[in-house]
Amino acid sequence: MARRIVDLNAEVRTGTGKGAARQARREGYVPGIIYGDGQEPQPIKVKYNYLLTKLKQGRFLQTLFNLKVEGQPDVHVVCRGVQRDVVKDLPTHVDFMRIHDDSRIELFIHVEFVNHDASPGLKRGGTLVVVRPEVELEVTASDIPDHITVDLTGKKIGDVIHINDVQLPPGVKPTIARNFVIANVAAPSGLVAEENAEAEA
Amino acid sequence: MLQPKRTKYRKMHKGRIHGEAKGGFLINFGSYALKATEPERVTARQIEAARRAITRHMKRQGRVWIRIFPDVPVSAKPVEVRMGSGKGSTDYWACKVKPGRIMFEIDGVNEETAREALRLGAMKLPVQTRIVAKEDW
Repeated sequence: MARRIVDLNAEVRTGTGKGAARQARREGYVPGIIYGDGQEPQPIKVKYNYLLTKLKQGRFLQTLFNLKVEGQPDVHVVCRGVQRDVVKDLPTHVDFMRIHDDSRIELFIHVEFVNHDASPGLKRGGTLVVVRPEVELEVTASDIPDHITVDLTGKKIGDVIHINDVQLPPGVKPTIARNFVIANVAAPSGLVAEENAEAEA
Repeated sequence: MLQPKRTKYRKMHKGRIHGEAKGGFLINFGSYALKATEPERVTARQIEAARRAITRHMKRQGRVWIRIFPDVPVSAKPVEVRMGSGKGSTDYWACKVKPGRIMFEIDGVNEETAREALRLGAMKLPVQTRIVAKEDW
């Protein structure tokens, strides 16, 4: 279930602050930073198209990367944030955190829903309202699960799926201590509108 | 149509819309959404018209979320009234939309239906928009 460590290439960025960051963007790079592990932060820049390709592959924030920076030893990192342009949704800055393979980190892991056809609620036209498309879990850096699976078999309209209903991979625990909601099967807007109209009449 | 239940003040200054959206620029509920790319005041009527266009094309399947709320009272003077003698009464309610703001989200329908529904909804709005899909970053 765990994914292999993916290589990621970056270059050293000289200078910090918005002037240097904008200069990097003008040159076709996305400015970024590597921090953590008790070392000094290292400003970097990643090629724009290269980063965008990686982002579009998905699960960028849930993957352990082997970051290769020219002239420096490789480091294992996880991406802690991708800032994006508010209107265009394109990346403007990227944050990486150094980690060891055995360190425990808190990551948002993707939730995958299966067996939509076996849910009577969805068959009747209900909508799967995903309250948490990602769940924050405490995981080991070298063993990050690809996703957690939620089985929708037998779920009717009005049913709620909690974290305790889901089988988590071994060595993984949620960071939130209560039995929180992941999703529910809601009535379609048309049905709700009809019910409201009946109630008003 | 949407409007506040009660307000602290009855009338508001016109103001100007500056900058980009500070919040509400990410998809939070659905799979597809309509995002504004320019600033404008969107009236309650326009929101309702867009909502109807979207839900009708979705044939009452799936679910629609409206992420904007018209909380700005816009006043107007009655016709054939001379200027002066105070500000007019509230004519309609509007929402100030900044570029980047997610206005509608939908879920529970396939991509083709979702994009067409949002396109039809966008035609009822006074802003240029972009259809965005939830990203799995």
